[in-house]
Amino acid sequence: MQEFDVVVVGAGAAGLRAAIAAKQAGAKVALLTKVHPLRTNSGLAQAGINAPLGPDDSPEAYAGDILQAGDGLCDPAVVQNFTHQAGDAVMWLERAGTPFNRAAGGRFDRRRIGSNSRARSLYVDDRTGHVVMQVLYEQFQRERIPLFADWFVTSLALEANRCVGVNALGLRSGSMDSFAAKAVILATGGFTRMYLPSTVSMGTTGDGQNLAYQAGVSLIDLEMVQFHPLACPGGKGLMITEAALAEGGQIVVAGGQPIAGLQGATRDKICLAIAQASRNGAGGVWLDLTMIGRQKLHQRLPQTLDLIAKVAGLDPAKDLIPIGPVAHRPVGGIEAGTSGQTSIGGLYACGECACTGLNGGGRLAGNILTEMVVFGARTGEAAAAYAKSAPAAAFPAGRLDEEKKRLDALISAEKTEYTAGRIHAELGALMDAKAGLLRDAAGLQAARDQIHALKDKYARLRVKNQSPIYNYELVSYLELGAMLNVAEALVAAAAARKESRGAHRRSDFPARDDRIGISHTVVRLVQGEPQVDTRPVVAL
Amino acid sequence: MQANFSVYRKEPGAGSKAGRSTYTVELPEDATVIDALLKIRDEQDPTLGFRGSCLHGYCGDCTVRINGKAGFSCAVKVAPLAAKGGEIAVEPIRNMPVIKDLISDWDTFLWDKIDVIKPWLEPNGAASLDGEELIDDKVMAKVRQAMSCFYCGLCDEGCTVLPVDFKFVGPAALTKASRFLCDPRDHATAERLRILERPKGMWDCVHCFEASEHCPREIAPTERIIEMRDMAFKHGITNEKVARHHHSFANSVRNSGWLDEGRLAIESEGLTNIKGLMKLLPTAAKAVARGKAPIPFLHHKRPGADKIARIIEKAEAKEK
Repeated sequence: MQEFDVVVVGAGAAGLRAAIAAKQAGAKVALLTKVHPLRTNSGLAQAGINAPLGPDDSPEAYAGDILQAGDGLCDPAVVQNFTHQAGDAVMWLERAGTPFNRAAGGRFDRRRIGSNSRARSLYVDDRTGHVVMQVLYEQFQRERIPLFADWFVTSLALEANRCVGVNALGLRSGSMDSFAAKAVILATGGFTRMYLPSTVSMGTTGDGQNLAYQAGVSLIDLEMVQFHPLACPGGKGLMITEAALAEGGQIVVAGGQPIAGLQGATRDKICLAIAQASRNGAGGVWLDLTMIGRQKLHQRLPQTLDLIAKVAGLDPAKDLIPIGPVAHRPVGGIEAGTSGQTSIGGLYACGECACTGLNGGGRLAGNILTEMVVFGARTGEAAAAYAKSAPAAAFPAGRLDEEKKRLDALISAEKTEYTAGRIHAELGALMDAKAGLLRDAAGLQAARDQIHALKDKYARLRVKNQSPIYNYELVSYLELGAMLNVAEALVAAAAARKESRGAHRRSDFPARDDRIGISHTVVRLVQGEPQVDTRPVVAL
Repeated sequence: MQANFSVYRKEPGAGSKAGRSTYTVELPEDATVIDALLKIRDEQDPTLGFRGSCLHGYCGDCTVRINGKAGFSCAVKVAPLAAKGGEIAVEPIRNMPVIKDLISDWDTFLWDKIDVIKPWLEPNGAASLDGEELIDDKVMAKVRQAMSCFYCGLCDEGCTVLPVDFKFVGPAALTKASRFLCDPRDHATAERLRILERPKGMWDCVHCFEASEHCPREIAPTERIIEMRDMAFKHGITNEKVARHHHSFANSVRNSGWLDEGRLAIESEGLTNIKGLMKLLPTAAKAVARGKAPIPFLHHKRPGADKIARIIEKAEAKEK
């Protein structure tokens, strides 16, 4: 067993930022991650990182845009607090070495993306997340924080409503170990791999949400799943950054006619317009970047140009790119305060796996990275402070042995009718069709029933690979279990919200309905079943 | 479409022998190599080990050799390879120790090497805490280009030094060092150059340009290494042997118009470095025996040497 003050699970932007903050606050920190920090899904964020730093901007104006994108579901106090910290958090990244693009005169250049009312997104070409991740990893290395890469956390260690560490499987060694900690931070990212197609990386499977949910923590606003409007089906969900629109690109139907009214619209509105146009028999919807010109594409969108060529086999300087909405990022997640605290003592959550009430029903474009660094830092500090004052708690004896036995029991040469890949494929298609961009009661009921059936198959599934080292069959199995549990909770939440708001669109309840009360959807696991409740949004 | 794969296999552990497994898979027309590997692992062989993450060509985790060419298994389409008939060979990338099957040891290959070069910014303190530091975008563009590196390993895979000396820090880590050396916000230039001039550092590069040829992001690692060496000379930070080699080389060309290889070898070691000079003897003896010894006192001027000297003078004046 290893002992730390703070254990961070997940090495995306939020996890790294939290680990750095906790270490700087004096805690003994370790970071566990199933994939190396520079291979995480945080690198997917491309267009920019919001901060109200421009002369025409203010935290108040920024807050106004967030509230609008959140469609009534944001917690205004959280938003206000956040927009006052965003500038410092992004300047911290600049001081640490982020080479943001500069305008003439050497000041930061800013992009206006999505429904931002100002040019507010600092950016690094079209690979902002990729470069921000490098800077965070540089600072993480500088702090000499022990990195346990290729470690998969299989369970939380709980003792009297307190989290006292985790059990984890070392993929390289093939052996289990316990990590005792006074505070555990979940920063495991999203879960949209439960949808297929999906823009996200293979490991974006809701592991942290599932750990918290199984431990009795509520999941909030899970029905709010953002679809990305500019995904390319020829590239299997390859996402094209919204910066492409900021640079002059247009969404067009057959004949090259642009779809009207999309300038400055929120993602959910653009997605619906594209879906509508496709349904109207427009013959397809395309992204037209040809007017930008090869030279400017190369200068301003180099990664986009490269990926569209390599992955989708198209030349954006010449070809129209077929696009459609694809599942992108969750807005909801583990119920967490603005310092990441959950309902379990010593258990924290930040980044995409958490739901603080900042984003409400839909995240403003360019906000994901800001959210990760603001809440990452605060959660790291809070966890370190908790670890300092918390009484010592013994790691429950025998818990590691129990966990080893549980995993050993999964491994069997016995043949099963199904494979994890097939169950995942069925789940992905099901979520996309029934709990996707447009939902209705009958579809959600069918999704619920089919997820039950898939869970039955999963319960009979066994891991055949008996070789302990890099047993990715076992990892996939555990990830699939997390996706099935979170999918079940998501479908319950979506069925309960009988209105259309933010990213949640119901064809049987097509309008926003404020009469039923503006509330968060709260899902808790009660006797193995998701139980849905609501919690009113707290006005200022 | 049906495709046949021949995949490199190796069990973990020092003593295990490498082999191959063959698989036939039914795939959709737009399948990539990682789709095939995922399907094989799911349906045919759960023990097959390989890495992957983003699935869309931007994270660098799934780099392998496909039919002898290094690339990303998530971006290489199966259809054109299957159309050629025969088996599609999938192997781990070169120069990297293998842990299991296609899973290579990125720690010793890359991450540990990057750790050596002080991979974080040392701010120069020029910027006030609340104000923006004004920097020309052309300067930032060079930093951005270095940071477009996604650690795919292709430069190190192509490196001609790493196969003979795995302790060489390699072009990927040197590119990372260049990211700080071309950043005006960093103040640790001298310290960085002292780290890079250590044995197995930037002077071990043989500037074969393979790294630049292999880089999928046009980051030009080799040119960056050459630039850092120039920077070291400008800062007077270079190890003695390299400095002597450099001066001898330049003097020889200035004086005779071409390279006096015998003198270069002796002067690089240092005229008072008896131990170093003794080490040259066996090579010198072999060269003499084969009639290939460059004897310093027999070295003569080439025709037009004066013109070459004038070119050097002009270039030096221009640089000043």
